[in-house]
Amino acid sequence: MPAITPGKFGKFGGKFVPETLIACLKELEAEFNWALQDPEFQDELEIAFGDYVGRETPLCFAERLTNHYKNKDGQGPEIFLKREDLNHCGAHKLNNAIAQTMIAKRMGMKSVVAATGAGQHRVATAAACAKLSLECTVFMGTSDMEKQSSNVLLMKLLGTEVKGVEGNFKDASSQAIREWVGNLQTTYYLTGTIVGPHPCPSMVREFQSVIGKETRRQAMEKWGGKPDVLLACVGSGSNALGIFHEFIGDEDVRLIGVEAAGFGLDSGKHAATLARGEVGVYHGAMSYLLQDEEGQIIGPHSIGVGLEYPGVSPELSFLKDTGRAEFYSATDEEAVEAYKRLSRIEGIIPSLEASHALAFLEKLCPTLPSGTKVIVNCSGRGDKDAATVLNYQQYSM
Amino acid sequence: MAAATAPVSFCRAHISSSSTLSNPYSSSKLPFKFGKFTPCPSSSSKSAGFSVSCTLAREAPVKMEGKEDSDPALWQRPDYYGRFGKFGGKYVPETLMHALSELESAFDSLKDDPDFQNELAGILKDYVGRETPLYFAERLTEHYRRPNGEGPHIYLKREDLNHTGAHKINNAVGQVLLAKRLAKKRIIAETGAGQHGVATATVCARFGLQCIIYMGAQDMERQALNVFRMRLLGAEVRAVHSGTATLKDATSEAIRDWVTNVETTHYILGSVAGPHPYPMMVREFHKIIGRETRKQAIEKWGGKPDVLVACVGGGSNAIGLFDDFVKDKDVRLIGVEAAGLGLDSGKHAATLTKGEVGVLHGAMSYLLQDDDGQIIEPHSISAGLDYPGVGPEHSFLKEKGRAEYYSVTDEEALEAFKRLSRLEGIIPALETSHALAYLEKLSPTLPNGAKVVVNCSGRGDKDVQTAIKYLQV
Repeated sequence: MPAITPGKFGKFGGKFVPETLIACLKELEAEFNWALQDPEFQDELEIAFGDYVGRETPLCFAERLTNHYKNKDGQGPEIFLKREDLNHCGAHKLNNAIAQTMIAKRMGMKSVVAATGAGQHRVATAAACAKLSLECTVFMGTSDMEKQSSNVLLMKLLGTEVKGVEGNFKDASSQAIREWVGNLQTTYYLTGTIVGPHPCPSMVREFQSVIGKETRRQAMEKWGGKPDVLLACVGSGSNALGIFHEFIGDEDVRLIGVEAAGFGLDSGKHAATLARGEVGVYHGAMSYLLQDEEGQIIGPHSIGVGLEYPGVSPELSFLKDTGRAEFYSATDEEAVEAYKRLSRIEGIIPSLEASHALAFLEKLCPTLPSGTKVIVNCSGRGDKDAATVLNYQQYSM
Repeated sequence: MAAATAPVSFCRAHISSSSTLSNPYSSSKLPFKFGKFTPCPSSSSKSAGFSVSCTLAREAPVKMEGKEDSDPALWQRPDYYGRFGKFGGKYVPETLMHALSELESAFDSLKDDPDFQNELAGILKDYVGRETPLYFAERLTEHYRRPNGEGPHIYLKREDLNHTGAHKINNAVGQVLLAKRLAKKRIIAETGAGQHGVATATVCARFGLQCIIYMGAQDMERQALNVFRMRLLGAEVRAVHSGTATLKDATSEAIRDWVTNVETTHYILGSVAGPHPYPMMVREFHKIIGRETRKQAIEKWGGKPDVLVACVGGGSNAIGLFDDFVKDKDVRLIGVEAAGLGLDSGKHAATLTKGEVGVLHGAMSYLLQDDDGQIIEPHSISAGLDYPGVGPEHSFLKEKGRAEYYSVTDEEALEAFKRLSRLEGIIPALETSHALAYLEKLSPTLPNGAKVVVNCSGRGDKDVQTAIKYLQV
């Protein structure tokens, strides 16, 4: 792996922000680096991960799913699930939210603002702020508030103030940044996506990398080796990088990310940034993004709300360009099928986001030699998506 | 995290060697001849035979005397007949006796079976996500600190982090493995809130067994999300319209199904109620909660908990936490029932506080009944506590004075629901909120530094809609 300038992944990444934010980002970077080396912070984080979040999460052999993919000669890969769905709040998002909230507290901040596409990040942020007694304000597009009303209720119960912004996620996130810039001394902007200006992508990736570190150890315990293939869904890329990062240096481990193809890649209604995007600057970082000919952001679509993001992590953009990771996509329909499949044959209801990764197994497994060890990052649980799936079924019938 | 130790050890019930113990019964295993009961004329026993609810004579036919009485380590829990003192037993039609005996033998043989133990341990670890943390609730502890800075230390046993979001799955996993051993292909269960139904449907999906869940029609309405989850997991959910269309009626229907299909079907009872061996079996599968707690308490503060607090509906999560500590007389055991709209309102589910001894669903225990021996419809804002009976072992622990039982109202539970969400970022189940609510009364009475462990038996995502209706958020 070539040496990377901090904040840059080849040509991707960087700090494309107004001058007002540069000092703030530098302070954040210093704080982050200090926390990484501070044994007290590391101990506190370990306890928070262990006792509050519920780590480590199991690496679970999916016996019936494995059988499902066996060919008529009884051959096929072995499928394992990394159970991020078992975390408190039901997704991998809390790994990052709790760590960053702890950093905010160290910096003497009194309040946190957040806005991302995924409701799960907001709930995780709300929970972490409640636990660490920080005020929390979350901005949401009014159309998103309607679609995710149960998440809104959860956040309010956790003591968070939810502010509606006319429009969708893009507008909400811009408003959140405005709020942050207006209160830089006391307010921490908690990014949940692994996009944003340096140090945000590195910070989020660092806190999520616990997933990959545990996976390495668990693979060694279970079969005395490494995984052959790692499979994860890609919205902005936080759960994917969380499991991939540890193995980037292991060239014999295939890294596969699965984006949202929505209604199909040619429909114009998808969120497959790496498949169909072009390089540009968005939210402070250079990366692939979905933009039209005038450089305007194209509104993404996916049935998995957490994947509905027009940008993607700069680090993943780099891994794509260097050929280290492969990226594919799954449609809404394929994701819903995968959602139902895992529920029925493993008794695990995956999030619609994670279902995209699971859907890709249909294409992947027939190509793999027998006994290949495949680990799918089961990045979240799908109770929150039950109503969506029910509506989708009724609508499509 | 350390791997779970072998999660199940079994109590070996043995026939008392005391020759002074009188035995007025026949040599059949059934302690009472079924015909001795006066069946209550009632509209609730519409179908043949089973749902009997009767008032018995107040005196226990068998008393446990002697020095064993005061030492919890020597109590038979249960004895050979499946009784905890006078409670428990097997008040069932003859058709079920063989199935119950078969179940008991199978269960008994598994304690020496390392394959079963290893399989169960593996599933609890990799599939369910055990061990669950013992979490120090710093802000809740601060909330209960008195003005002089003193107060108890509050810990939460995080059963809410289990796969499916409650403790229920511990038992479901154990019983489905047992059912596979018995070569049963068809699984039935009853459910109130839906958590046990979801847990059962989950394990049936995991192991590829046919699953039928009985649920009261009224409960199906208030827990629609859980109904959808069960169906998604491949289970058939059958609505029960008889009686008041709630948990007790679903249980009766499930028992009827089992009587009819006993050869092919295993009944996964969701709590520590029902005929022997269920109360013992369900406890054994849940006792991992208490066993882990003991180990974690030593790791965290080098000692034992001083007080254990848990909500009580049927009583499974409470028994799961308490069991390992019953013999430790210096550990207080506190169960919290649902006082609904108030104990004097007639709308509650505080069985141990307001009930009387009788037989329901195959076991002798406290239950809520009127003067004619008819079951009083319970009420609680939380569907999982909305049960008019209680596990016989709880009745026993209450009578022995080993455990204390209190109750909290719907309103107090809702306050606690909100409190934990705001202070710790953990949304507890409304059932669990009853245990948390009792901290308000308990904490001021405890000495400084008392270690309190509350069983956070489930997460509350399923209750958000209900709570929002009542709370001004």
